[in-house]
Amino acid sequence: MIEVERVSKQFMDIEALHDVTLSVHKGSIYGLVGSNGAGKTTLLKILAGIYKQDGGEIAIDSQPVFENNSVKARTAFIPDFLYYFHNYTIQDMATFYSRIYPQWQQERYQKLQEVFNIPVKRRIKTLSKGMQRQVAFWLGLSILPDVMILDEPLDGLDPVMRQKVKSLIIQDVAERAMTVIISSHNLRDLEDICDYIGILHQGKILIQKDLDDLKADVHKVQVAFSGDTPPTLIQDMHSLYHEKRGSVSILIVRGSYDEIIQQVQAYHPAILDILPLTLEEIFIYEMGDNGYEIKNICY
Amino acid sequence: MFELDLRSRAPIYEQLVAKIKELIVTNVLKPDEKLPTVRMLASELTINPNTVQKAYRELEYRGYVYSVPGKGNFVKPNVAKDNALRMQTLEKELVRIMAEMIYLGMTPREIIALVPTEDQGGNVND
Repeated sequence: MIEVERVSKQFMDIEALHDVTLSVHKGSIYGLVGSNGAGKTTLLKILAGIYKQDGGEIAIDSQPVFENNSVKARTAFIPDFLYYFHNYTIQDMATFYSRIYPQWQQERYQKLQEVFNIPVKRRIKTLSKGMQRQVAFWLGLSILPDVMILDEPLDGLDPVMRQKVKSLIIQDVAERAMTVIISSHNLRDLEDICDYIGILHQGKILIQKDLDDLKADVHKVQVAFSGDTPPTLIQDMHSLYHEKRGSVSILIVRGSYDEIIQQVQAYHPAILDILPLTLEEIFIYEMGDNGYEIKNICY
Repeated sequence: MFELDLRSRAPIYEQLVAKIKELIVTNVLKPDEKLPTVRMLASELTINPNTVQKAYRELEYRGYVYSVPGKGNFVKPNVAKDNALRMQTLEKELVRIMAEMIYLGMTPREIIALVPTEDQGGNVND
């Protein structure tokens, strides 16, 4: 279990994180999304024990992380920019890992070779970006981590490898209740494997929720009327956002499917469509609420 | 066993519940048959194991499956009973859909022609 309690971090006069509080339960996969420069990487680096927070508490299984070897020995961190020792082959790196991490499992390392299928004698620097990332997963999973901290982990992997890596992570989550926190810009990537989502913006957590609740809570309503749109409708619905495209009104409304359908039916619409939002849309509208708009660029 | 539509807007656990329910109702999954383990289904579909667990709990709550501790989840025989409430909502939905069809110009006769007869079997689609 990961607990972050009112953590803040400053770099010179830039406030990277401000009072961030979140918790990730054991065996859960937490998806961290946010605008560019929101502080995702800073947060993950604090979780990995690379940075020390200026204020607040961070604990993995109730223990502090910074300079704490017993926690770090059970944590696999895959940063956005990978680092390998110069001239090291995969085999060299594996030997290094096996000495550092007490839970290293040689058997697993060999088994995973079948999955990744890269010759262990290759020097890592000569591998492509995507292959270097595969090596990071290969080594990271071989230490049988209790916690995985992944910063943009699927970046540069091909679609087949993406699925393979995801399914490896899922197996560890299901079998050993591994805890995962994962940041990504590709919200589609997160939608299937995460059960919890947090949105970070300008160093603050805007929203965090169970993904299914998040989706069940907000709906996109497309409604059209044979006559004029009743002017009271939009006020009545307390929409987060509304827009008119021709004769069709599009509203983003909080509430369950049944509630909304009842409310709108009262106006006898000619066309009524109620859709759950995709994670991408939730992100865009939540950000729009906070002055981070997409509109003027897109349309 | 089945595929999920990851591009669909519907929450994954809802899709899972619907798919498994469909398989049970259509008798593809037989009474007392064991459902795939959470781990297997999760890694097969590359979805979160907790989501699968949640779907199984929901199915159990709605009376489609039962779980045996340490053994897994099984299809419950004779699901028929406590479906009254669900039937009511389905009926309401059907009325709404038929109203729309009639509004769009379909005749009641054409709608009746869509009702599956015994020798055809149902054609279940989303």
